[in-house]
Amino acid sequence: MELDFSRQLHFFWALVPEMILCAWGMVVLLAGVSRSQKEQDDTAPRDPSFGGGADMGWLALVGVLVAAVANGWMYGLEEIGRDGMIAVDGFRLFANWIFLLAAALTILVSFAYVYRQRLQAGEFYGLILFSTAGMMFMAGARDLIVVFLGLEVMSIAVYALTAFNRRDRRSAEAGLKYFLLGAFATGFFLYGITLLYGATGSTNIAEIARSVSSGQAPPTLLTLGIAFLTIGFGFKVSAVPFHMWTPDVYEGAPAPVTAFMSAAVKAAAFVAFLRVFMVGLDAAYDTWYPLMWWLAAITMVAANMIALVQSNVKRMLAYSSIAHAGYLLVAVTAANETAAAGMLFYLLVYTVMNIGAFAIVIGVAHQAEERLQVEDYAGFGWAQPTIGVLLTIFLLSLAGFPGTGGFMGKIYLLQGAADAQLWFLSVILVLTTIASYWYYLRVAWFMWMKRQMTEDQHDSVIVPLPMRVALVTAVVIVIYTGFFPSAALDFARASVEGFGAMSGSMLGLGQ
Amino acid sequence: MTASLTALVQGGGQAAAEAGHFEPFLPGLVVLLPLLGFVINGVLALQHARASADAVRGGSELALGDSASRPATHTLPTWVGPGVMLAAFLITLVNFTRMLGAHLEEPVVVHYWTWIATGTFTVDAAIQLDQLSMVMMMVVTGVGFLIHVFSVGYMKEDPGYPRYFAYLNLFVFFMLVLVMGSSYALMFVGWEGVGLCSYLLIGYWFSDREKADAGKKAFIVNRIGDAGFLIAMFLVFSNFGSLDYVPVFHDAEGLAYAGGLVTAITLFFFVGAIGKSAQIPLYVWLPDAMAGPTPVSALIHAATMVTAGVYLVARSSVLFALAPLSSAVVAGIGVFTALFAATIALKQNDIKKVLAYSTVSQLGYMFLGVGVGAYAAGIFHLMTHAFFKALLFMGSGAVIHSMHEAYHATHSHEDPQDMRNMGGLKDAMPITWATMWVATLAIAGIWPFAGFFSKDEIIWQTAAFGGAEGAAYSALYSLYWVIALAAAMLTAFYMTRMMVMTFHGTNRTGEEEKKHLHEAPAVMWVPLAVLAVLSVFGGWVNVPEALRSAWVGGMGILPMSEWLHHWLEPVTLAAHHVQEEHLGELAHSAPFGGGEVLWATISTAAAAVVVLVSLRVVAAQRVVPVAEDETELRGIAKVLYNKYYVDEFYDRVVVQPVVRFSRFCWKVIDAVVIDGVVNAVGWAAKAFGWGVSMFQTGTVNTYAFILTVGVLFILGATLL
Amino acid sequence: MTALLDSIGYAGWALHALVWLPVLGVGLVLWSAEAQAKTMAFWWSVGVFVLSLGLWWAFDPAEGGMQMQSTAPWIPAWGVNYSLGVDGISLFMVMLTTFSTSIAILGSFNYIKTRERSFYALMLLLEAAVVGVFVATDLFLFYVFFELTLVPMYFIVGIWGGERRIYAAIKFFLYTAFGSLLMLVGILYLFWKAKTMLGVATFAYADLLQVPLTGTEQLWLFTAFALAFSVKVPVFPLHTWLPDAHVEAPTPGSVILAAVLLKMGTYGFLRFLLPLFPIAAQHPTVVTTMLVLGVIGILYTAWVAAVQPDAKKLVAYTSVAHMGFVVLGVFALTVNGIQGGLVVMISHGISTGALFLLLGMLYERRHTRTIADFGGIARVAPWFATAFVITALASIGLPGTSGFVGEFLALMGTFETHPTIAMVATLGVIFAAYYMLPMVQTVFFNKLDKTENREMADLTSREIVILAPLVALMIVIGWHPTPVLERMEPSVRVVLERVEAAREANATTTDGAAPALAYDDAPEGGSDSAPEVSSDPPTADPSVGSLVPSDGQ
Repeated sequence: MELDFSRQLHFFWALVPEMILCAWGMVVLLAGVSRSQKEQDDTAPRDPSFGGGADMGWLALVGVLVAAVANGWMYGLEEIGRDGMIAVDGFRLFANWIFLLAAALTILVSFAYVYRQRLQAGEFYGLILFSTAGMMFMAGARDLIVVFLGLEVMSIAVYALTAFNRRDRRSAEAGLKYFLLGAFATGFFLYGITLLYGATGSTNIAEIARSVSSGQAPPTLLTLGIAFLTIGFGFKVSAVPFHMWTPDVYEGAPAPVTAFMSAAVKAAAFVAFLRVFMVGLDAAYDTWYPLMWWLAAITMVAANMIALVQSNVKRMLAYSSIAHAGYLLVAVTAANETAAAGMLFYLLVYTVMNIGAFAIVIGVAHQAEERLQVEDYAGFGWAQPTIGVLLTIFLLSLAGFPGTGGFMGKIYLLQGAADAQLWFLSVILVLTTIASYWYYLRVAWFMWMKRQMTEDQHDSVIVPLPMRVALVTAVVIVIYTGFFPSAALDFARASVEGFGAMSGSMLGLGQ
Repeated sequence: MTASLTALVQGGGQAAAEAGHFEPFLPGLVVLLPLLGFVINGVLALQHARASADAVRGGSELALGDSASRPATHTLPTWVGPGVMLAAFLITLVNFTRMLGAHLEEPVVVHYWTWIATGTFTVDAAIQLDQLSMVMMMVVTGVGFLIHVFSVGYMKEDPGYPRYFAYLNLFVFFMLVLVMGSSYALMFVGWEGVGLCSYLLIGYWFSDREKADAGKKAFIVNRIGDAGFLIAMFLVFSNFGSLDYVPVFHDAEGLAYAGGLVTAITLFFFVGAIGKSAQIPLYVWLPDAMAGPTPVSALIHAATMVTAGVYLVARSSVLFALAPLSSAVVAGIGVFTALFAATIALKQNDIKKVLAYSTVSQLGYMFLGVGVGAYAAGIFHLMTHAFFKALLFMGSGAVIHSMHEAYHATHSHEDPQDMRNMGGLKDAMPITWATMWVATLAIAGIWPFAGFFSKDEIIWQTAAFGGAEGAAYSALYSLYWVIALAAAMLTAFYMTRMMVMTFHGTNRTGEEEKKHLHEAPAVMWVPLAVLAVLSVFGGWVNVPEALRSAWVGGMGILPMSEWLHHWLEPVTLAAHHVQEEHLGELAHSAPFGGGEVLWATISTAAAAVVVLVSLRVVAAQRVVPVAEDETELRGIAKVLYNKYYVDEFYDRVVVQPVVRFSRFCWKVIDAVVIDGVVNAVGWAAKAFGWGVSMFQTGTVNTYAFILTVGVLFILGATLL
Repeated sequence: MTALLDSIGYAGWALHALVWLPVLGVGLVLWSAEAQAKTMAFWWSVGVFVLSLGLWWAFDPAEGGMQMQSTAPWIPAWGVNYSLGVDGISLFMVMLTTFSTSIAILGSFNYIKTRERSFYALMLLLEAAVVGVFVATDLFLFYVFFELTLVPMYFIVGIWGGERRIYAAIKFFLYTAFGSLLMLVGILYLFWKAKTMLGVATFAYADLLQVPLTGTEQLWLFTAFALAFSVKVPVFPLHTWLPDAHVEAPTPGSVILAAVLLKMGTYGFLRFLLPLFPIAAQHPTVVTTMLVLGVIGILYTAWVAAVQPDAKKLVAYTSVAHMGFVVLGVFALTVNGIQGGLVVMISHGISTGALFLLLGMLYERRHTRTIADFGGIARVAPWFATAFVITALASIGLPGTSGFVGEFLALMGTFETHPTIAMVATLGVIFAAYYMLPMVQTVFFNKLDKTENREMADLTSREIVILAPLVALMIVIGWHPTPVLERMEPSVRVVLERVEAAREANATTTDGAAPALAYDDAPEGGSDSAPEVSSDPPTADPSVGSLVPSDGQ
């Protein structure tokens, strides 16, 4: 059916998945508080997969599935024009898939953690659903206000999640840090919006695009607006030098939350980032191109180099996620359809492999986040072959090695860069990739090439059913996209059809 | 491949039969038989080696038992080794007689299979039969056979008996490839093959470190020459587009006389020859090569392998004739080596060392010969030298054999090779004594022994060549001539000295040992006798025309005037044309006047005098056994005794520096520089990462601060 | 034979089978019991080898181009095809791979005692990847296989290796990845160029050959590709990963590394470097540089090898020297040179592979590789010594062995175009003797003075089965290389013709003063798109762009 935003109801249709998630989040929340922590603990069986808090998890999962169905249904919708506040296009829907997948996987891997840390399952899963909704707002936003709205919905939920583990000081500390710095950055973001509004007289991306390309926007204001927006987004995607919070927060936050943040939150920020800059500010490409170029370069270099010296796996993965932000920034710099499709594809794969890796970290980590040092993985592979192989695959994929989705993703990003002729940036990308080989393989060599320190070192690893499901899903997607990327590939390409159509100049860039 | 192998056996292939209606008779078999011998003996050797290895592992040595009850591994080689050689010799003989009949103008090339074919370069596995290769085949198979027979006796008690014969047969195989191959490429196969066998046979008693070292030294030094050979081949190919003799020599005639190209080619080939034929500066390996069993010295380091260089030059006569400079170099190196080695031989006490340096010296003569365009003469001396030097070595072998058994009987550890421990052996071993005297007279150039005719021709040709009107550097050649004469005298002296110290005077072996000294068994002395005969009459196949009518030619009673010369004519023809064209008539008188006859007379007379005098002089010297020998050598004598310290010099100037530089490459360039850079990159990356992560203090205000810095940076970048 | 092969449609499926059967083997090995793993793996690899033998007959010696080609779309969106083919250059590499894999597996029966299943699985995986490298005719596919070879090797070295195995493994991995990732950028540049110039998205080798490139572009791409391959070869000074990898790797690892993995580099030279970038490849400076590096490789590593106390490290260094001859032959750009190089590749695969096997056997017996620990071995292990000496001689290129044919042709081919360089390189034969003979002597000759050596056992029948075919091949190829050469020649000519064409084209545009730049004036206006920093639009240099405000209007 055709969406015509002159009618209220159609706004409702345009936001079905988001609304479902919000509503469902309430339900889970209520279901959670309806039973006290005490009885949750009492009813908690030895198996973390069912009963007790696990029920909340399953409940939340169902919510995600329903939202997914809604998202699928959205494909039936056809919007008139491209200037509504909410976009109903392939780009948004594809992004939604990523968020939902991330949410689902996160929920699945959380079971063990929630069970061990005896967290209030209801609130935990509820918050995940809320933040997911926020992300979806960001992906669909075609108005900076909506972007900001989504950003906040997402962020606040994530702040809470970060500080969620009250039994762990670091968790609380991380939450606070994240909140403070987040607020700081949000300020810049908001200021950026206002400046753009000042420059273009609108917060609607389409409007902005028009006025920028018409050249009526006063340059200084525009430039300042762009700069501030860049800072805001740069913080959310944790680009160097706005990444400082990332390692601490990722390390302190509950592992599942870290997984969720490093995958979904980043993805959300990036899709909004790309839409605002590639569609809205495309005509000002010359202004922000060097900015992005340097952000990408610095982020890739710094993140990979710092990751080299990390001995804490969680922290290493934190820096690796910053590095991946750097790779994705290359796509933003390129700002053409290939790059856009590449970004979507990469985000999909990245989400999956990253959460997969984190899942195993959760499995290995003990009560209260112990055993996160790389030494703790010595001989792990031979003790737990299956998980070992899986982790190896995820690491290779993160390293972007052939035969994995990570490789195809990187190729796609590089193709985007090629179309924009960003050869030097491409070289930086591959060179930093070599550095990343070192720290990813480091884990692999501890797993396979070192003796385990004690006989029973790896017996305590628990991988409950839900996590298995998550792992299998993840590895299947990673391998499948690694060998037969076409399906996902074409889907991504189709999703960005005419994404940047609003602005013609971009077409000239690549070729 | 298999087809061609059968062809090889049936001597088939597309032999150019019509050429001078010479029908080769199973030429392939000549090469194949020694190979067969190698395979059979090799298998036996491996078998035996396994058995003895088990014994060694058991902590004992495998006892051979007395000659009656020997295992097949030690009886079969006796027949296989010499057997294949005899067969090869007979087949060669047949071909030889056939060739005598046919007046062959063009060489006959028998193709078997295409060895290498890249599309722009092709070389076949083919045999070239002509007068030159025929002479070489005769020498190699004939003398080779005799030495194999001798070895049966000499090596009888050696546990490695089958391995020994395997190596020996393999050597002959490669030697035949060398002389019979139809292209430089194949010659190179033989060239390095014989080098390999020489390596294996010198280090035959590999448990002894010196011997193993000697083998290694021989191989490496030879490889230096081989590099030259390779480069020469590259030059030939890149200019003639082929490595086969026939086309190359045909096109060679078109080359510019004394041109840079031909000079380069010939000089590089000569580098190869220097290595293989132990000339200055690469002769150092040959004396050490005496570490091998004495028959090996006779076969490889006297009769055949070391003369390969001479063969190479003779084979490439056209090229060398076209390059006067190279020829002068060849002759010069040759004659100086002749003198140099002779002087060293004067002071050696090890009987084999004397012979070794004498060999180097005689090889020098051969190069002088081919250097002055007397290719036939060079080959002639090569042949006669093969006879008497093989005889001398085997004779010394017989002596050493006897001495060894004498000391063995008394469990004495005296050196059986040192002549100071010998003396008066002629009573104990008369046949050896007699035959060796024949050889000595031959090498000393006493009329009418073989050596006289061959050496005299070379010396005369030196004079004649230098005197030719078109000759370049004639003064140089007269110098050569004088040196050649002088060296001849030295030869006469050190050989006589050797004979006297070994066989004459009183015995110094020791009272007890004396009783055990005995004549060599028939299997060993018969070959000596045969070679003695050849050493006497061998020279008569090529009596110079000028001498023939004179007394030196026995008033013409000596047969076959310049037969060998004429026989080789088809091979050297082209070269001689070049000479006539560019040098014109050769001189008829020596530098200081006097004709060929006169100087022949003078030289042989002088040699005779030297022999007679030195008989007295040396006999007069008081020689004491090694044990109680305290004579402190000084002055020139010491220098000569220590071979001019050349080995020490090389060690200092070449070997050590190379080793030191190698270490430098490894320890410094590889480990420090290159790997240093590689690791440094890694460290740098980590250091950077570590440095940056310093900002990760964990306190929010730092983060906020850095965030602000970033903000300012961005604003600055965009606004300024 | 040919008829039989046709009757089963061999040419149609052979290549696919050679790539995927080993993968299937991986499954079977993992599935079989720990004890059966090795026999399983061995017979499977033998099967693959036997299958590959068919190529000998199915291959048409007269044809220079790709044969037995078959292609299927893999990633249509990017124009990536799964397409395989074989020509005279890759034919023997494939057979060498299948052959040495079987040999290596058989050779590791005693060496590998732990986690056998995983080990043999990885070996087969490696085989699949390497065969893939040699038969891929799509650059994307090639790259995937090229990278995939790293992972199994990384684990083989890292898990079953010696003391410093991890250092060696990671060094090997990063060194190689460094090169190949730059090549990836190069490949994508070609892809982009094809897309813009030809208007089709394609990675197909045949298509990319058609991409018009300026001289400058070629020089850049040449550098990127050359780096990738030179690390693999390895070319001095990128060789330092090799000694470590070889020494630490388990015997079968070293065998495969020497026999086939190094060949991927020189194969890359011939398959991609020369045909794709002919202008750069025949640029005097480039050629001279490569040749000089080759010569340095020959002499320098010979010297370094000569002073190694560790026998395995010595042999490892000699690999670099041998590959130096290949580099020489390839960049001589003559039929003789390239064919010689190819023969050296084969011969080195056989002889050095054999040397590593022998050293492995030595190690199994004495648990040391230090040359000084041995002496007089020939007395207790005569057959062993015999095999070793023959192999050593083949390795130093004694006539009558495969080594000679290759080195001789390579040197002669080089001499045709660069006499001086060839002459210097010829000195390599001297130093070959200088590094090999002392080692042979100290290990096998001299006095048998160490008691532990007295106990050493001679070759077992299994080891004889391993070594016999290798030794046989060395000698057969040494005496009758023609069948090999005649199959290579047409393909070699195809490569050379491209280079020649480029040279002539240059000769016409300029007087050959600076051929590389000659094409820049050529009418296809890509001269601005040379992959330098400056090619980042719109502001030429980002550093400038970031400092100078370039506001919208």
